[in-house]
Amino acid sequence: MVTVSMKINGKNYSGEAEPRTLLVHFIRDTLRLKGTHIGCDTGHCGACTILWNGEPVKSCQILAVQAEGADLTTVEGLEPEEGKYSIEQESFREHFAMQCGYCTPGFLMMTRYLIRNNPEMTREEIREKLHGNYCMCTGYQQIVDAVQDAQKKFLISKK
Amino acid sequence: MYPANFEYVRPKTVKEALSLISSMEGSRIIAGGQSLLPILKLRLFEPASLIDIGFIPELKQIKVEDKHTVRIGAMVRHHEILDNALIRGNLPMLSSTAENVADVQIRNRGTIGGSICEADPAADYLPTLMALDAKVHLKSDNGERSLSIEEFIKGPFETDIQDGEMLTEVEIERNTENFVVEKYARRKADFAVASVAALARVAKEGRVEYIRIATGATTEGPKRLKDLENSIRGKTSHQLDLGEIVGKAISSIGMISDLHGSSEYRKYVLRGMLIRTVGNLIKMER
Repeated sequence: MVTVSMKINGKNYSGEAEPRTLLVHFIRDTLRLKGTHIGCDTGHCGACTILWNGEPVKSCQILAVQAEGADLTTVEGLEPEEGKYSIEQESFREHFAMQCGYCTPGFLMMTRYLIRNNPEMTREEIREKLHGNYCMCTGYQQIVDAVQDAQKKFLISKK
Repeated sequence: MYPANFEYVRPKTVKEALSLISSMEGSRIIAGGQSLLPILKLRLFEPASLIDIGFIPELKQIKVEDKHTVRIGAMVRHHEILDNALIRGNLPMLSSTAENVADVQIRNRGTIGGSICEADPAADYLPTLMALDAKVHLKSDNGERSLSIEEFIKGPFETDIQDGEMLTEVEIERNTENFVVEKYARRKADFAVASVAALARVAKEGRVEYIRIATGATTEGPKRLKDLENSIRGKTSHQLDLGEIVGKAISSIGMISDLHGSSEYRKYVLRGMLIRTVGNLIKMER
């Protein structure tokens, strides 16, 4: 076992992991942060997307030991204060951009990154950027609506 | 599935990594892990130990020497190749290629060194690196050598890397000629069924002065189409019957057949891609 320490949502965490432990399992099972989901485990579906230094990565394609000293954000870190939705969460709620909700944490993390780094994307560009995230329920229309709306809300919040 | 267990070490310098590689039996290097982890999960491969080169700052550098030699560290991620101003300015073709690699999340972790060392015949970089005449630098405890992509890629998932060696850097001369990079896959993030990377310079009167064409995903490694280049160089686009010369250039090439496409299908797709992309490229004046 190896001791792994990292910062998640601004808080320091430390735990024991086998070298082969995937980061997503370390976050969920060792650190008990259950918001990040595991979908396909093959790097395709994006349900396990988290932010590493603000950039989205798939936590099922990373070993926990590789994330030593990393600064991560998971879906639990989105809400600005207890019980209050972030821009991304609010947009997803308003547009009903989910049905079963399983893929939602991954989409929310992508939205957090996208609206801050490409704030003026067209619908086509949003779809392009989201092709590493699968949703088996919605057909993506409401998700793209929600990301567009989150873009607008983010730009307004910056003014 | 879960990877089999292994020992894990985290060197801080290239020197330390090299001494670990030569002393640890059955060890393997892990860079970003975006190709290696899926392989470990399938247990196609069970290394006794993994040497993580992700904590070595010198492998993450991008430098331009004498204004024309670009040196890219093995740990530079696809995302940086797409975004970095030095690479965009000196090697726009390489930046464009990085855009075709997988998806945003994978591009944030996957590295150019890892992709080259995996040597997947469908890897997006290989034809581009071949067209750009890239060199890879390999280091070991005994010294250093550099190889062209042709020399380095030995076959599907096979490279010339020897025990105790590590790919540390990719070296490419600045090239800002007109280019085309195109990948055909059923879905965007999939591996290519066929890909084309070509560079050309067309003189004022429409004569093609300089042309380099490489293909990927259709043969066991990337392939330069020198015969096709030779029949295009020195001519103007209206002197050429591309349908005929492309057909001739690829007719004798044996192509891969797998679940993504038969060899006949790949030949059909590649022929169409070459006629269209090279056709457009040799009409572009600067």
